[in-house]
Amino acid sequence: MQHVCALADVPVGEGLRIDSVSPPIAVFRTEDDEVLAIDDTCTHQDASLADGWLEDCWVECPLHASRFDLRTGAVDAPPAKLPVRAHAVEVRDGEVWVALSDAVPHLPPGVTYEAS
Amino acid sequence: MTTTEEPVTGSSLIPTLPGSAYVDPAVFDAECERIFEDMWFCAARESDLPKPGSFRTVQVGRESILISRSRRGEVRAFYNVCRHRGARICTEDAGERARSFQCPYHAWTYDFDGKLIAAPNLTKMPDIDRVEYGLRRVHVRTWLGYVWVSLADAPPSFEATVQQEVVDRLGTLDNIAGYDVANLSVGRRIVYDVAANWKLIVENFMECYHCATIHPELTEVLPEFADGLAAQYFVNHGAEFGEDVSGFTIDGSEGFGVIPGLEEDRDRKYYAITVKPQVFVNLVPDHVIFHRMYPMAADRTVVECDWLYLPDVVESGRDVTASVELFHRVNQQDFEACERTQPAMSSKLYAAGGVLVPSEHHISEFHEWVTHKLTPTGG
Repeated sequence: MQHVCALADVPVGEGLRIDSVSPPIAVFRTEDDEVLAIDDTCTHQDASLADGWLEDCWVECPLHASRFDLRTGAVDAPPAKLPVRAHAVEVRDGEVWVALSDAVPHLPPGVTYEAS
Repeated sequence: MTTTEEPVTGSSLIPTLPGSAYVDPAVFDAECERIFEDMWFCAARESDLPKPGSFRTVQVGRESILISRSRRGEVRAFYNVCRHRGARICTEDAGERARSFQCPYHAWTYDFDGKLIAAPNLTKMPDIDRVEYGLRRVHVRTWLGYVWVSLADAPPSFEATVQQEVVDRLGTLDNIAGYDVANLSVGRRIVYDVAANWKLIVENFMECYHCATIHPELTEVLPEFADGLAAQYFVNHGAEFGEDVSGFTIDGSEGFGVIPGLEEDRDRKYYAITVKPQVFVNLVPDHVIFHRMYPMAADRTVVECDWLYLPDVVESGRDVTASVELFHRVNQQDFEACERTQPAMSSKLYAAGGVLVPSEHHISEFHEWVTHKLTPTGG
């Protein structure tokens, strides 16, 4: 696992984009104080899901409202058609650790990242 | 036969503004810049924005303004202009957004505080300041249950302008407090699209020389209006209901219960207040009639009129028709008169304007005020 941020960096009900991994991921802290992580970039167009609307354990893309399940990365409805990856998270002593998925990320057209 | 272009000094008659003041687009432009976009402008009823993301768009001077409520419930107002390429963010007059305001052109997306929260490829442009490129805010005040906005960089004092108009008319702000206008509910709203210059509507509201001629129902309820004297001339004077009149209704029939907290000597009186540049307030014992004008062009003004009642009157679904009908007719009669006047404003005969009789002389103070505002050094 790798350390990505402090729990205190992520307010309850919000998400944080983590640029130190590639492609970037988003760490979310739900209203129930559950911490979950998925790829940050929507699979439809280059938008940061960390800036999306968090509700229960879904996040809605801020641009075109496709919703992603924070537990599985599954997408509910177009325009996004492909899932994002979900990453295993552990919170230890107020620090957030992530085990990145080894699946191939689905990035939107025109977006490329070097794998970290 | 001789004709006189201007009244003789000391005569009963004093001149109005020239006809061009009511038709010239350049004058209207100057009024937008120096009056509507510079002063406090009453833009919407707070209850038009019941929750975060509720919005209204209104024209203030030459600008479209988007009024909404933040996630914390605070009223916000923005220029309705995308900071990217300038598209209108919201094109409807009113509506609701669940999450954000999104420009329909390139999907620049703003939260309800105006901050830019998302845009295609925004993460590749980390130098874009999301507040600096957020929706541009305008100043907001709430008073009497209305949202007042000012587009000025440094707005005038709300107390010295808006509230002073009420003090000048009623003597003190306490004298309007008893009506509890902020907590009344909108029982009826009627929007009038009037083909007349906004100043004709203000002038009409300021005088009662026309009352006995065009307002038969109103003059029945308020007999002293038949003498043609200005209803707003004397500080804290209210027009008394006629002896056989029970309420401020189309037929003088009983209205609703008096607004609690109202002083006893106001329980059979009508008060009218002009809050320059675009608000009229009418106070009667059981309701308040609140006019907001939206000047759209030199020859067009939209007037939104709210009839406000105690919340239980509206919630219990009581029939407000009898009281709405009285002032609705007054509005129709007044706006018809203004529309009859507007075409003559460009007549050769009216180039130098018309005249004011003594019971209308106080209108010249309004004319001086407008003229002063449009003078480059004017305040």
